[in-house]
Amino acid sequence: MIAKYWAQMRAVVRLEMKKTFLSRRGLWVYLLAFAPVLMFAGHDLSMMRTREERRAIAAAHPVPAGALLSIQPGMTREEVIARLGEPNVDSRQIRFGGGRIRREFLSYTDGQSRYVFGFADGELQSISVREEETFAQDRLIFATVFQFFFLRLAIFFGCVGIFTNLFRGELIDKSLHYYLLAPIRREVLLAGKYAAGLIAAVAIFTASAALQLWLLSLPYESSLSGHEISAYLGVAALACLGYGSVFLAAGLFFRNPLLPAAGVLIWESANLFLPSALKKISVIYYLQSLCPVVASPHREINPVLALLISSTEPASTILAVAGLFAVTAVVLVFASRRARRLEINYGAD
Amino acid sequence: MAVYKRTYKGYSGALTAAWSRFLILPRYSFGRLFQSKFLVLFLMACFFYPAGCAVFIYLSHNLSFLRVLNVQAANLLEINANFFYIYCTVQATMAYLLTALVGPGLVSPDLVNNALPLYFCRPFSRSEYVAGKMSVLIYLLSLITWIPGLILFLMQSSLAGRSWIFANWWIAEAIVVGSLVWIGVLSLIAMAMSAWVKWRIAAGALILGVIFVGAGFGRALNAVMRIRGGAMLDLAQDSFTIWSALFRLPGAGQDIDTLDAVNAIAAACLICLWLLFKKVRPFEVVK
Amino acid sequence: MTPPPVEESLVRFENVSRFYGEVLGVNRVTLAIPPGITSLVGPNGSGKTTLMNLMTGLIRPTRGSVRILGVTPEDPEKLFALVGYSTQFDAFPKGLSGFQFIYSFLRLFGWPREKCERLSWRAIGRVRLNDAAHRKIAGYSKGMRQRIKLAQAIAHDPRVLVLDEPLNGLDPLVRAETIALFRELAAEGRHVIVSSHVLHEVDLISDQVILLSNGYVVAEGKIQGLRSEICDHPMQILIRCNRPAALAARVFELDSIVEARLHADGGGLLVKTRDAGRFYRLLNHIALDGIDIESVAPADDNVNSVYEYLIGGEEPGK
Repeated sequence: MIAKYWAQMRAVVRLEMKKTFLSRRGLWVYLLAFAPVLMFAGHDLSMMRTREERRAIAAAHPVPAGALLSIQPGMTREEVIARLGEPNVDSRQIRFGGGRIRREFLSYTDGQSRYVFGFADGELQSISVREEETFAQDRLIFATVFQFFFLRLAIFFGCVGIFTNLFRGELIDKSLHYYLLAPIRREVLLAGKYAAGLIAAVAIFTASAALQLWLLSLPYESSLSGHEISAYLGVAALACLGYGSVFLAAGLFFRNPLLPAAGVLIWESANLFLPSALKKISVIYYLQSLCPVVASPHREINPVLALLISSTEPASTILAVAGLFAVTAVVLVFASRRARRLEINYGAD
Repeated sequence: MAVYKRTYKGYSGALTAAWSRFLILPRYSFGRLFQSKFLVLFLMACFFYPAGCAVFIYLSHNLSFLRVLNVQAANLLEINANFFYIYCTVQATMAYLLTALVGPGLVSPDLVNNALPLYFCRPFSRSEYVAGKMSVLIYLLSLITWIPGLILFLMQSSLAGRSWIFANWWIAEAIVVGSLVWIGVLSLIAMAMSAWVKWRIAAGALILGVIFVGAGFGRALNAVMRIRGGAMLDLAQDSFTIWSALFRLPGAGQDIDTLDAVNAIAAACLICLWLLFKKVRPFEVVK
Repeated sequence: MTPPPVEESLVRFENVSRFYGEVLGVNRVTLAIPPGITSLVGPNGSGKTTLMNLMTGLIRPTRGSVRILGVTPEDPEKLFALVGYSTQFDAFPKGLSGFQFIYSFLRLFGWPREKCERLSWRAIGRVRLNDAAHRKIAGYSKGMRQRIKLAQAIAHDPRVLVLDEPLNGLDPLVRAETIALFRELAAEGRHVIVSSHVLHEVDLISDQVILLSNGYVVAEGKIQGLRSEICDHPMQILIRCNRPAALAARVFELDSIVEARLHADGGGLLVKTRDAGRFYRLLNHIALDGIDIESVAPADDNVNSVYEYLIGGEEPGK
């Protein structure tokens, strides 16, 4: 019997696969998944170009690092140029107050960092140092982008697209009855459809995460540890598992799954501000607990809202993974009960 | 050769004036929309905050009530530009959710049922079609944004006296202009998504996604590329920046330059119009 | 193989009602459908599709029970090994060719690839779509789509075939071939349950009919038997003879005769009577009195008449 169920599940997966991976309707899921890849690729290109430019300039017009550090506010333009020579990076002049105040910015590089000296009427007033980006900085940025864009938005909306389509999409296309007229248990049908969605979602989103991780370490000599990489890929896969079950069920229970999707989006977005106990009733809490780097969005948040943020101890790895599997299992059990009672009434959709 | 009796006579009665023909579409759309109990309930919920604001404005001018509560009028939130700015942001959020509910059903059913040729074989242009469908959203969103906003403004003016209205008339202008900018952006996004994605649920998800994902992607872009321009992808932020400038708030243009925000909104509207006119046509290329 | 017991060879509805909210689908339907071709006939909204959907578990009865050859629709694993259903929905899973469509859904039975391929080609052959089998269904004509749906319904060799308007969109030649296929399947001892609104075709193909009106079964059985049971309407009998006028004068001896009309060709008489038995006995006497009677045949024991009498002015349709 089990062998028969497996064979039937494989048949459902085979039928769904083409639809999930190659449909024109699903193109936006790819766009959503691979947009961060393009972003990191753009970052790498720009960073490598800047780095090469700075090194070339520094080689052509060497400025000693010690001399750069010796510049102090209050010095005149001429004093700075006497110590450092003519600026070796594009500089600019701006006039304010109807031309009464003349602002000038002189830029130098030692091959790694960029120093911008700001003068007002010939007197040095500000020193801005833009240091070369480091792997540690980018690692933290990746963690923030992964947790606050990739998990919460890209995978979330991607799963809305993939998983609600499995049942609700077929009800709208008036083609679900072909499945319901086959000698297959509804639970097996649901499992097959969920597996098909999960394979597609995991393949698309973990591929994107893997590419992002590769691009993250490409300009640097160091890279993330194997543990960190597998943690990120695992979290992406678990996000598909958790959100996938929720949206599969939404497609079965609601004629317009957008309403529960919007509800879940608001709930998950409000997670930061929820009290500790309520935080734990969300997928994102367990996913964030599993992320190897703690990312904080607080800088981006309005200071008034930042006061409302409640901090909660992250769940342990075992608890987080078990929690996600448990949530998924419970949601799928409810969904399969609904699938058993499902009737075909296309006119109502 | 077959000879047929010429019994058919075309309609020769009065026609709806050309300028108002587009208003025929919302008449039917509203009928269908208000069949949904959920939509009616949501629309009612959209008036809770304006009603609360009205009560607050009334009470803040009711000295005897304040005396009973032993509260100094000065301790209450001042009814000023910031008050109306907050009102606009709350109602803008409701308008956004309402658009995600109403928007997907505007164009996609006509595309799914191949109904566009039926519209365009009549004296009805593509622009009139777009204007007609868009007016559904414009009416609804106006009803929950600038119209109650103006009522609140008038209420405050009548309670606070003539001097207040002379000093603050520009707030009314900011409420109307700011709301119309937001309504225009939302309507165009909703129409474009509804025209490009025939599946209503996916269109709704995209309407939600364009704002949320745009905001998230913009911030991610800023962080990764160490730039500030990514915030322009956040259409909500762009609109809030324009409102801040309209309401003359001190933080206006802090994250994004106001001109950049205007440009971003204009670009988004143009892209939506282009998408719309690519899809809304009396024929379909069958592949 | 021993034939199944009688209980297991019937499609049974026991006091079945189905409501869609406050709208009646079917009400208090009790039926026992034997093998052979059974047609469901009735106007739009009379409950034909509801009955078919109830049979196949796509919807559940609000009251009562349905059993198909002893199997309940709650048990899809057993039921759909026995039942094939070609629905009225003209929709297909996206991106599939005719062959892929039948093959993929046969794989859901858990059968091996070779068996599914063999069964798919056999079904496609039976509806004569071999040449178009590898084309995408999206490019099929209406008739081809109807045939591929039929092929999908018969591919797993079901004992009960439920077909919702299967002749819609078929050209006359294919229609005749499809009717022949139904007869072939019925001759093999299967149930072929068809809904149709083309009454003369129902007449041609059906072993029995079920007439539905407003969610109620108003008649069921063989057409001829049905007609004789309708007492409210006089029965029409056409008598071919050499002296129809003389015959007309004689038939009014009976008070149950309602009308006698000379046939347009002058070679027969059309009689309407409330008591066919007494009329036939009288006819024996008349024949002995020198009127040459060539033939006597009921003129209104077809579906059309039964439909007209029972459902009357309602719009015949789906």
